[in-house]
This record gives sequence, structure tokens and C-alpha cells, in this order.
Amino acid sequence: MGGYAGQILYVDLTSGSIEKKPLAPEFAREYIGGLGFGTKIYLDLIHDKPDFDALSPDNPFVLMTGPLTGVNMHAVARWCVGSKSPLTGFWGESNVGGFFGARLKMAGYDGIVLTGASEKPVYLFIENETVEIRDAAPYWGKDVYDTTDALLSDLGDEKKASGQVVTLGPAGENLVPFASLINDKGHVAGRTGMGAVWGSKKLKAIYAQGKGKVEVARPEALKKLRADLKGTYAENITIEALCAFGTASHMDVGIVGGDIPIKNWQMSDWDQIDDLGPVKYGESILTGNKTCFACGVGCKREAEVKEGPFRFAKGPGPEYETIASFGSMCLNPSLESVGKANDLCNRFGMDTITCGATIAFAIECFENGLISEADTGGIALTWGNSEAIVKMTEMIGKQEGFGAVLAQGSARAAKKIGKNAADFLTTVKGLEAPMHDPRSAHGYGLAYAVSPRGACHMASLNYPVEGGGMYLPEVPGLDNEFVEMTSDDRALVNAASQDFGMFFSSCAIFCNLGSMVLTTGNAVDMVNHVTGADYTLEELLRLGRRVWYMKRGLSNLFGARAEDDCLPKRLMTPLADGPTEGSVPDMDRMLKEFYQIRGFNEQGVPTKEILEELDLPKLAQLLHG
Amino acid sequence: MALFKDAETFEKVLGGFFRLMADTPVIADKLLASKMIIRFKYSDPDLAILADCSGDKMKIVINDHDTKALVEMSMSAEIAHKFWFGKVNLTMALTRRQMVAKGPIPKVLKLLPAIKPSYAMYPKYLDENGFSEYNIW
Repeated sequence: MGGYAGQILYVDLTSGSIEKKPLAPEFAREYIGGLGFGTKIYLDLIHDKPDFDALSPDNPFVLMTGPLTGVNMHAVARWCVGSKSPLTGFWGESNVGGFFGARLKMAGYDGIVLTGASEKPVYLFIENETVEIRDAAPYWGKDVYDTTDALLSDLGDEKKASGQVVTLGPAGENLVPFASLINDKGHVAGRTGMGAVWGSKKLKAIYAQGKGKVEVARPEALKKLRADLKGTYAENITIEALCAFGTASHMDVGIVGGDIPIKNWQMSDWDQIDDLGPVKYGESILTGNKTCFACGVGCKREAEVKEGPFRFAKGPGPEYETIASFGSMCLNPSLESVGKANDLCNRFGMDTITCGATIAFAIECFENGLISEADTGGIALTWGNSEAIVKMTEMIGKQEGFGAVLAQGSARAAKKIGKNAADFLTTVKGLEAPMHDPRSAHGYGLAYAVSPRGACHMASLNYPVEGGGMYLPEVPGLDNEFVEMTSDDRALVNAASQDFGMFFSSCAIFCNLGSMVLTTGNAVDMVNHVTGADYTLEELLRLGRRVWYMKRGLSNLFGARAEDDCLPKRLMTPLADGPTEGSVPDMDRMLKEFYQIRGFNEQGVPTKEILEELDLPKLAQLLHG
Repeated sequence: MALFKDAETFEKVLGGFFRLMADTPVIADKLLASKMIIRFKYSDPDLAILADCSGDKMKIVINDHDTKALVEMSMSAEIAHKFWFGKVNLTMALTRRQMVAKGPIPKVLKLLPAIKPSYAMYPKYLDENGFSEYNIW
């Protein structure tokens, strides 16, 4: 089998046991990789005892690469993590780039399964055959950047610079429900609080170093594909924009169609939006480009603010989601302060979308008198108050004062604040919506509502397909000409985007940005050339569909029901002007159609028949008895 | 069937709008700051509009195929018309090659904030200049 290292590590942090289990070829063929492996393994681990808290030792954690991770092609460096989410209480997962996945594969492992919890802070050391649980006391309490530097230095690696660290920060240690995991300081497994799961297990970091090579089954065929794609990449304007401006390029494109949320989703246009745009970024805080393993797209940014109240040392710069969360959502035109907030979130190890969106929520509560300076410790949480936004970010990271309230995420903060605070929420299943407005593209609304992990634009390929970045006419249901701001056909688009998306983003693990130029044929060929398999598109759609049902089923198992498949009031309120004036997704209709397509019952649970048809008998039994 | 009955009509509609933009400081000033020369190549019907922002004043030249342009945007007349209403999903149009952009992408992206005010101007321009029949979005 090409592409696979051939082993998965099973580490029990309670007993300290470490087991290397071989990866069976039939399993690899059936589940492909990434969260295809991860959800199946997770389900098998919990099926005897599915009722536990996300922060308990009974909650397993899966970290998986895909068969393409570590291969010398653009945009295939990614890896995935999954577990029960402490933020939502449902299935949680995150998808992340960088270098760790490749290094883990080169060390000889396709993934890691963590169970139990350590009594004391530990880190996992992986260097080829050597796998050890080591004392992490010297690193506990350090921020992400200091931990990364210290661990690499202590392991004598700083000059070799090839070992990779993924770590949590103080937020994860303190069980902030939206704590993240971070590789190489700026590659973030951000959403759903996976850092808090590690915190509950007292696992501070994983270090991976490997000298192996990722074997390719058909190297000549892959080489030809790489050559064939050279022109595709060179001519694609989106790739060029990513290379030139990073994801910040979306600030200029998204504003035209009303995609960017402004003032906690109350506006879709703003005369200061250009202050947060890519041109301003380049003129103010940008210091360079970065990339992920083997990727020539180079969409990551490096940034710095040398002096002033928002000073931060050269390091990973803010992406689009962060610029919107701390910028447009808060009516904050200061890119320097957004960069500082990003730096704080990276150091503390926190999801920037949840953090920024929660601060925007708090600003609206403050505006409406639900909280005051007496609550915030004298901080005037007002629109555009850059200093206050940065200060509150730091307080959230430290869980100081009102920061401790907001550190629980906006949904729990709303419950604590009470009165009509819930009116200002923008969460689905407790997860704050990402920075793409469903009023500009109704299918996003359905995607957010039914995503197993909560409001998410990456849980399927709906966003890049309906948003226009990907064109996949070979996938049945995705061969439409999209009419804007309509709910027509969006249920089918979502289902098809999920099926292909599970294969693409979750199992093979293509990067949704750098690989958006690929046709379905390119993607299928790449996986076949690397693994030596002979998948067809139809087979991969079926396998992807099953992975989606596993994720959905896990959320159902953890209590998700039809009443959770809904958008918050704020996202269902039409705007009075701007590009999306008067537009609101027809959620009732889209949900009805989607439930029919997916074979859900009225409670939002896949029927026993559909689960058995998909060869998921255990899930069928757990959900239906 | 083509949206515009012939090139002459299309030239009157879109050429006139380009001249309006050239005379509108909030748009023209930013485009002049870019110093760019941009050629828009339309099909069905065929028309080329050159926006020369390299001097002190924005010049609009019809069917100039010779001047060296830094950026060239190609699209059908229908897409162009929809674009100026702000109704084209730019990402989708570029992905599906309904619009083709040649030239340095950083320069192309810089145009977008500059031309944003035009999306509100275009429907008004159509009504005020006897082109109400084209005010369809």
C-alpha cells in the first residue's frame, strides 16, 4: 500500500501503555484515511459506553493523517483530529495543515489514538520506532510559542528543525472549551475545543520526528499528474490570489456579494472594510509568506507590529476568518489590533473564530445594557474599540474577570448573562458561525445547521462549491448553474458536497484552498496513484457518504436532534440594505428536503434502515436499539 | 439570444457607463492612483473598452486593441452587464472561466474596492439614460 505508514499508535494515558497496531489493507481501502479511520475507530472504542463527558478520561481522541499526507504534491499536508467536543457536547473535529502530519507519517505512523488521562502533565515523544510518554512539567503553563521552542531546544532539535511539535496552550490546560491545538505556532486545529480535551488528559504536546519516506505506489503516474497540474496551478486566479494575499484576499471578493459578516451579522457592507483588506495588510503588518509541507501555494502569512499598543513579534499572521472575527464583526478597522488578537489566541491556544465572535456578541450585550463596565472591570466593550477587544482577548486567555465568562464561549456566556442575550448569539449546536453569510448563499445555512460539529463551512464542500471556488460537475447534484440567494436545490447540493467532501477533505485530506483547482478526476487519480488502489468516483462518494453518517451518528449519539439543526435568530434576520437585502434562507424547506434525501426521521436521526444499508450496524443498534 | 441586440447598442450602454465612472471622482481617483491600463474584451456582441488610468485623467477608448494593457479581462456582454450590478459571483465566474483575467492578480484584486461604488450607480445610470429595458437585476 502506498501512502500509508502501516501502523496506528494506541496510547493509553491512564496506564501508560503504548501499542503499535498494524493498519490492515482492507481497513485502509474501506475507510481511506483521516477521519474515515478516526470516526470508525472512535465509534468502536465508545460503543459499549457512549455516555461520558467530553473532558472525562472516557473520551477518546483520534489524530489521523490521510494517504496523501506527506506526499510531494501541492496542498496535501493536512491531518485531522476528532473527539467529543467540550464546547458543543457533540462530535468535534478539526482539520489542520503544517508539517506535523507529514513528520508523523515519516516516523512510521498513520495516526494516534489517545485514551484515558494522565495524572500529571506529559508529552508524547515519537522518533521513528521510539515512542515514549515523557514528563511535561517543565512546559506546563508555557504558551504555545514558548512550549514549541523549549521542547525543540530541549530535544536538541532547534538546529535540525525537522521534528515537529503540536501543543496546547494555557487555554487548553485550563479547559477553555474552545481551546485549540497548534503545530509550528501557526497551523491550528482551531474549532470545537480539541485543546481542552488534551488539557483534560494532561497531555501537553506531541513531538514527532521521522526519517522515513512516504512511499507512492505509482510514482511515474504521480509525476505525470504533477506535471499536468503545473499549468492548472499557474493559470488559476484564486491560487494566484492566495499566493499573493493569502486568505485575506477574500476581504475584497466577499464584500461584493455580502458574504462577510459585519457588526455581529447586522450589516453586510461597511465603508471601512478596505482597512482590513489585503492591500492594507501588505502595507501594514505583513512580513512574509509561509506554507505547509511540500505545498507551493504558500497561502500562509507572517506578520509583525513593531511598536505601539498592539506590538507583537514576527510570527503567524491572521487569516481571513480571524480578520473578520476580530475586525468586521467588531466594527474594528485596526489590522494591527487584529494581528495582536491573533497572536494572543495563538499563544494561549484558542480558536479565533469563537473568540472573536464571542467578543462581538459581548459588545452587543454591552451596547444594549445587558452588561456594563461594572461587569467588564472598567473595559468599555464598544464597537471598534480596538484596545478593549485586544484586552478582552487576553482576559479570555487568562480567564480573568469577565474574560472567564466569555472563555466559556458565547452560548454559555449568554445563559450566564441572561435577559435577552441569546438574541445576539450566532451559534449552531453551540459553535459560533464562521465568517460566511448564509443570507448571501442559502446553502451555507443548511450546511451550518446540519453539520455534525456545529456551524461550519468546512464540514462539507458546500462552501467552495456554492461559493464558486470549486467546480465539480461530475458529482451528481453539483452540475448546476448556481442562482444566487435561492434555496432551490440546496439540499441536494449539500448532500452531494458532503459525500464528496468527506472523501476529499476528511479522508484523503486535500486542502480545500490549495486543491480547489482539482477536478474530481485529478483527485481520484492522485489517491489511486499514491495508494495503488483503483477507486472510482462512485465508490468514493459511497465511502464518503458513510463517513458523513458516522459523524452525524456520533452527534446524534451525543444527543443532537432536529431542534439543534437550526440557524440562530440573528442569521435568519434579513438585512434592510446591502448586497443581501431582504434575503433569508428557507430553512424549513431545505431541512425538509435534506432530511428526505438523507433518510432522517423526525428527530433528525438517520433511520435504522439507512444505517444498515450503509453497513453501519453498530451505529444503527446504538441509535435505535 | 444575446442580451444586447448589437455592438453599437452595447457600446452605448457600457461605454457610456465607463465614461460616467471616469467622471466620478470616488471611483476615478482610486483607479488613477493605480496607474493601470485595463482592457475589457467582451463577446456576443464583440467590443473592447480600454480604461487608461496611467495619466492625470481617466481615458476611455473603444475598440483599442493595440495599446499595451497591464490587465485584460475577458467575458461575455451578459456577464459584464450582470457584473456592474454587483450580481456576478466573481469567484465562480473566474473558476468556471466565464471571466478570464490576464495580468498580475494583485493588481486585479486592487481594482475591486475601487469599483465598488459603481454597483449602485449602474442601475441608476441605465434608467437615467434611456436604457431602462436593461435594468433587469
